Amino acid sequence: MDEDVLTTLKILIIGESGVGKSSLLLRFTDDTFDPELAATIGVDFKVKTISVDGNKAKLAIWDTAGQERFRTLTPSYYRGAQGVILVYDVTRRDTFLKLDNWLNELETYCTRNDIVNMLVGNKIDKENREVDRNEGLKFARKHSMLFIEASAKTCDGVQCAFEELVEKIIQTPGLWESENQTKGVKLSHREEGHDGGACGGYCSVV
Amino acid sequence: MAADSEPESEVFEITDFTTASEWERFISKVEEVLNDWKLIGNSLGKPLEKGIFTSGTWEEKSDEIAFADFKFSVTHHYLVQESSDKEGKEELLEDVIPQSMQDLLCMNNDFPPRAHCLVRWYGLREFVVIAPAANSDAVLSESKCSLLLSSVSIALGNTGCQVPLFVQIHHKWRRMYVGECQGPGVRTDFEMVHLRKVPNQYTHLSGLLDIFKSKIGCPLTPLPPVSIAIRFTYVLQDWQQYFWPQQPPDIDALVGGEVGGLEFGKLPFGACEDPISELHLATTWPHLTEGIIVDNDVYSDLDPIQAPHWSVRVRKADNPQCLLGDFVSEFFKICRRKESTDEILGRSTFEEEGREITDITHALSKLTEPAPVPIHKLSVSNMVHTAKKKIQKHRGGEESPLNNDVLNTVLLFLFPDAASEKPLDAAASTDNNNPPSESEEYNLYNQFKSAPSDSLTYKLALCLCMINFYHGGLKGVAHLWQEFVLEMRFRWENNFLIPGLASGPPDLRCCLLHQKLQMLNCCIERKKARDDGKKTSTSDNMTNTYPGNAGKARDQLGSDNPKDTDKEKGEVGKSWDSWSDSEEEFFECLSDTEELKGNGQESGKKGGPKEMVNLKPEGRLLQHGKLTLLHNGEPLYIPVTQEPAPMTEDLLEEQSEVLAKLGTSAEGAHLRARMQSACLLSDMESFKAANPGCFLEDFVRWYSPRDYIEEEVIDEKGNVVLKGELSARMKIPSNMWVEAWETAKPIPARRQRRLFDDTREAEKVLHYLAVQKPADLARHLLPCVIHAAVLKVKEEESLENISSVKKIIKQIISHSSKVLHFPNPEDKKLEEIILQITIVEATIARARSLKAKFGTEKCEQEEEREDLERFVSCLLEQPEVLVVGAGQGHAGRIVHKLFVNAQRAATMAPPEEDLKRMGSPEERRQNSSSDFPPPAGRELILRTTVPRPAPYSKALPQRMYSVLTKEDFRLAGAFSSDTSFF
Repeated sequence: MDEDVLTTLKILIIGESGVGKSSLLLRFTDDTFDPELAATIGVDFKVKTISVDGNKAKLAIWDTAGQERFRTLTPSYYRGAQGVILVYDVTRRDTFLKLDNWLNELETYCTRNDIVNMLVGNKIDKENREVDRNEGLKFARKHSMLFIEASAKTCDGVQCAFEELVEKIIQTPGLWESENQTKGVKLSHREEGHDGGACGGYCSVV
Repeated sequence: MAADSEPESEVFEITDFTTASEWERFISKVEEVLNDWKLIGNSLGKPLEKGIFTSGTWEEKSDEIAFADFKFSVTHHYLVQESSDKEGKEELLEDVIPQSMQDLLCMNNDFPPRAHCLVRWYGLREFVVIAPAANSDAVLSESKCSLLLSSVSIALGNTGCQVPLFVQIHHKWRRMYVGECQGPGVRTDFEMVHLRKVPNQYTHLSGLLDIFKSKIGCPLTPLPPVSIAIRFTYVLQDWQQYFWPQQPPDIDALVGGEVGGLEFGKLPFGACEDPISELHLATTWPHLTEGIIVDNDVYSDLDPIQAPHWSVRVRKADNPQCLLGDFVSEFFKICRRKESTDEILGRSTFEEEGREITDITHALSKLTEPAPVPIHKLSVSNMVHTAKKKIQKHRGGEESPLNNDVLNTVLLFLFPDAASEKPLDAAASTDNNNPPSESEEYNLYNQFKSAPSDSLTYKLALCLCMINFYHGGLKGVAHLWQEFVLEMRFRWENNFLIPGLASGPPDLRCCLLHQKLQMLNCCIERKKARDDGKKTSTSDNMTNTYPGNAGKARDQLGSDNPKDTDKEKGEVGKSWDSWSDSEEEFFECLSDTEELKGNGQESGKKGGPKEMVNLKPEGRLLQHGKLTLLHNGEPLYIPVTQEPAPMTEDLLEEQSEVLAKLGTSAEGAHLRARMQSACLLSDMESFKAANPGCFLEDFVRWYSPRDYIEEEVIDEKGNVVLKGELSARMKIPSNMWVEAWETAKPIPARRQRRLFDDTREAEKVLHYLAVQKPADLARHLLPCVIHAAVLKVKEEESLENISSVKKIIKQIISHSSKVLHFPNPEDKKLEEIILQITIVEATIARARSLKAKFGTEKCEQEEEREDLERFVSCLLEQPEVLVVGAGQGHAGRIVHKLFVNAQRAATMAPPEEDLKRMGSPEERRQNSSSDFPPPAGRELILRTTVPRPAPYSKALPQRMYSVLTKEDFRLAGAFSSDTSFF
């Protein structure tokens, strides 16, 4: 199964409690929706292989608990992630206002700085929207993230979000190369060789 | 190609190649290659721009052909030109002579600084060379040479190729080429003379002109004027009093074991020898005409000082020994050693008498000792000292790899707190506060996955590097490491925090070793807090060591009820107090509990919930805002909770692997949640203990407030009442939260089973440290060393300001951060990084050397100095630099002086004597220029356009290049003739 997989990517889903992180993940991996999904304890984990532009990527997705108390525990899982999905609930402004905290936390705990971030506004199927799409867009632009609105319930935007994220990661050089790939970046050799086909300048003279 | 397999019986074939000779086959191969490369026909390019041979890009294409079983390589060398031009002029140009013949006369690219020799000799922009493929092969006999040349001639004729085609004859080192170029009705023969000894009559211009003219054999009189370009090259090897400015560190002193000038934590820098070995001055007369100047065997007008063009190049020493590069690469070599510390030091240290084991048991018993009071009075330096003595005793008479002075210096450098006689707590805690430097440089550790530059880990890396280089190599490294591990154990056993580490959980952005040390510090911190708690019955200074998370909670919530703080402190102090360590479950002793009860009663307000429950509230941290318990209206208290366990990346890896292994099934997920619920359960128990009689709703309101949904409802009496309930997901029957809540007993954190067993974790770390081989250690610390080396070159570069170096440093940083982020970087990639660092170092050393030689510092006039600096930096980056103003310019005068000084020294003239005419025999011709040594090389290019071979033939370009050095004389002539009218 792993034969033609280009790479394994670690993806993290974070955000305030109850914004629908686990639901988004469940929709993406199992294409189901359960309105009564138990609150996550610590971290949960799911795997899915997807194909983007003909490249197969295996996603190891870590779903985290949003509760304040768990936050002391979960940052350890930020390590080595190539992509982060930051979720808020469009029907609850407070979850949007807390985004800054989450970004701070990301900055503190992420082990690499070229990680790809995606902002997802969830629950757009609901009537009582409190956060406008433009606000989300603005926030994402300000922090150079990908942005999409989605609904785990109606399936809107979920697949797209994950695909977009993976594509972006694959496009980012150096982010996902596994160690068995030897196509590392070559530094230019500025050494001036005295040998080679062309005889260096004065070799004919002195 | 495969001649032997050619069948001979095909008599019925109309076209029969079977009897073709090797020679014919060879010619057809050559033609094939020329056709393949599309070198047929004439296509005129643009006239050559000045300097294009240097600034443009040269490319080459190769193929292999065979003459019988003798292999030749065919190579097409060409200057890359814009193709649009070429195509535009594709129209058939009937009578135009080939491009190459025109180029023979072009004067824009005489004496290119770097070029293929054929380009130098003939000024060609494109040519094909056929040379023996194997380096050792050579075409020696005259008949073979002729045969080859004939093949070329025939191939050119058959294909109509107008690119000159050369064959290399004789041994390769002689670089003898003969060749031919054919155009419509014209042909140029490229001929060559190569001699070891210069015939006397050809050492000067007039003699060479004679050859040229006789070779042309032009029937016209008077002969059209010959244009002449001359370049003399002078070499300066002896830099005289301009000593290599870099003072190499006093290695002897260091090796001798004197610690005097040695500073640990600093990296050496610079080249040990002069990285600039020679200076070449080329004096050029680019455009002379025959008759303007005289240069014969008795007199010469060619005075280098008067030459209109001066250009200088420097020859860099190949791989100068560079300190920093050596330092780092020597350290890198340790990575490949296989020996363990014990193997290197001899097995005497640890294992003898089961020392290690006794150590551990000792450590454990020490913890349970009632009062290890005297330790407070001792300083670490004493301890270090005794620890060391112990080792030395064990090693017996055997000499330890590191001498005491060095070892002491290193240990003091690593553990500065050992020097102070103050009580250790204070010293250690001040050390913990790293300066919060936000600079990009400081945060480099982040990219390199090394450690902050002020950390113990970083310092240790530098010390090991230094020890490896100067003090005992691998043995020294093993010795220091052993000392280091001992010190770590000592600190753990005696509750001394390790200095130079940021407090808090391991920083996953740092290297694993750094994380391990931080982990050990976490353990020490907890153990110390516990032990201190045992000793101190009062609670005053306890808040210092209070764990961060609870503090955070207080920041967020506790600001509005300062009343509680006193009580909290008391409680906190108590709670830590009672965390004994080696048992899994532990209980407060009776007296403690009594005391606590008393405490609680005294400070507890409102009498407490006596009638409600038979349990006393325990382990309260602070009141949670204005929240009250749902069923009885008592204030809701946030409990004291256990800190989550700090984790190093390998532990984390292990744990996530375990969690991931559970799979993605529902059962797996459930199990995973259960495994992680320890923390939740612990918090629930603490909560229950702090809030007797509480419900899950109460807990959720503190823990996950969004899962408690409040709604305004109008009750029967018509009042608006807030009605709350658990969220749907919390109400799922037997979900993990409910389940945990039901199992949770009201136990305060201090009496719970510990989530983090500091004793076990500390022993794990200490064991991990002890089993690291020097090679492992080097791998752990290499990122720190590379980090330090990069900072060093950056620092040194900033003094010199070399733009090219800046660029490479940037590349090194981005490259390294890519390489070092992967768990096991390939050796090759690491080597490459180290090589780059060495190259940068050498470049900086060269810049310094040149600056000293040209005295840029001494230059007083601002403008001149700037010019000179520019000149020096050009020397570093360009193959050849034009001297503005030639011999009369500022740089020119300095170069002149360098030569004068060297000359003076060479003739042993006393330095105070003014420069005088030396008149040494070799210089008899160039009296006026005796400041210079005889030229190391003399190049002349003679050019003219004359009809050949008959007076009525077409006038065609003729050219002869000659070069004369001490042991080499070469004439390279290109003589064109008309093949239609002769």
